[in-house]
Amino acid sequence: MSGFESIVGIEPWRALFTFCNFMITFLLLRKFLFKPVKKMIDDRQSEIDGLYSDANAEKAKAEALRADYESHLESARAERDEILRDAVTRAQKREQEIISEANSAAAAIRTKAEADIAQEKKKALNEVKNEISAISMEIAGKVVEREINPADHRNLVEKFIGGIGEAHD
Amino acid sequence: MNGPKIYFEIGSFKITQTEVSMLTVTILLCVAGYFLGRNLKKRPGRVQVVTEKLVSMLYTLVEDTMGKHNSRWTPYIGALFLSSIGGTFIGMTGIFRSVTADLSVTLTWALMTSFLVWGCTIKYSGLKSFLKGYINPLNIISDIAQPVSMAFRHFGNIMGGGVLMSLLYSALAAASSLVLGLIRSNGWIAAGVVAIAGGALLFLGIRGKKMVKKIFGIVFLVIALCAALEILGVFREIPILQVGIPGILSLYFDIFSGFVQALVFSLLTMVYVGNACPPIEEKAE
Repeated sequence: MSGFESIVGIEPWRALFTFCNFMITFLLLRKFLFKPVKKMIDDRQSEIDGLYSDANAEKAKAEALRADYESHLESARAERDEILRDAVTRAQKREQEIISEANSAAAAIRTKAEADIAQEKKKALNEVKNEISAISMEIAGKVVEREINPADHRNLVEKFIGGIGEAHD
Repeated sequence: MNGPKIYFEIGSFKITQTEVSMLTVTILLCVAGYFLGRNLKKRPGRVQVVTEKLVSMLYTLVEDTMGKHNSRWTPYIGALFLSSIGGTFIGMTGIFRSVTADLSVTLTWALMTSFLVWGCTIKYSGLKSFLKGYINPLNIISDIAQPVSMAFRHFGNIMGGGVLMSLLYSALAAASSLVLGLIRSNGWIAAGVVAIAGGALLFLGIRGKKMVKKIFGIVFLVIALCAALEILGVFREIPILQVGIPGILSLYFDIFSGFVQALVFSLLTMVYVGNACPPIEEKAE
């Protein structure tokens, strides 16, 4: 217990003491504080960087897959459209065919029927003519009471009937 | 104002306030560093977040000032900064004296910086270019002036702050004894007047929500109370005015000044050592 030192003074022992204390502080802080904390920060940083790059890679992969699927889907859709269009065209063609077949069949049937009808008509007309000529000859024979020359008579009647027939046709 | 108090001497080795404070700072820093750097986790807790923030700030500061290649100097700079700021702040406890208010301490740190600079110059630029620098004799002066200026800057700021604070304390003690003596000599009437003035000011301040009036009201009331205690003879010479103003000035002289000086000392060390340690590419040339 002996007073005070001067304010501005240099003590060699104190300088040594300061140096030693500082070195102790420095070394201990470096060992226990700075290095572990820095290492932790760097580790975490690298881990985060790794996670991010992984995530980015995954994302790129997913993106590629998506594009792939989308192109697949697009081509499938185009294919479907193609098939549908094809089917529709074919169906339409078939429809046309069926209709035209039916039409032609109907037309054939009709023509045949018309021909038949015409023939029947002709036949009937001939029959009727014959009948009428016979009847008229009979009637005429009865009316005139004389035998008309059948040949002349027939000619006469047929001319008449023919005129009727033509007029009727 | 005195230098550090001498506790006892062993030969030429003196144990003073500075030694005790420095040992305390060293132990505190090492223990704090040990506990902060222990049990580090990938998912940090609150303390670890703050620690990591500070450490990475320090690394950023060093890398910005000295360059990326000098990142390994960070622990040294950090220890220097913490020793300096701890050595200054320990003076605020009132039990210890600021370590940095001792020229021997700051001069030692400054000389360490100088030796590092010289060592790095020799290591990276070679002995020849180191010696070649002294062809111009002014460089010798600058090499001497550099540590001296660093040491005196740091020491002077902290010491000056301490001197100013102690002057302020004694001035405030004188002022309070003057004020209280004036009131005491006028007896209870003066104390009553002061108390009434204080009460009125406090009342007005609370009604008008004025901070200044409230503060002065409380000050007047406390002074009246102290005067009353002195008149009753309970206490003598209460240095009541020492409460308040030194607390505000201490923000500047102790905390701000201590922080700035630690920062300046570390920054200068960074700049000097950084200049002596050029990037690897330049060294290869």
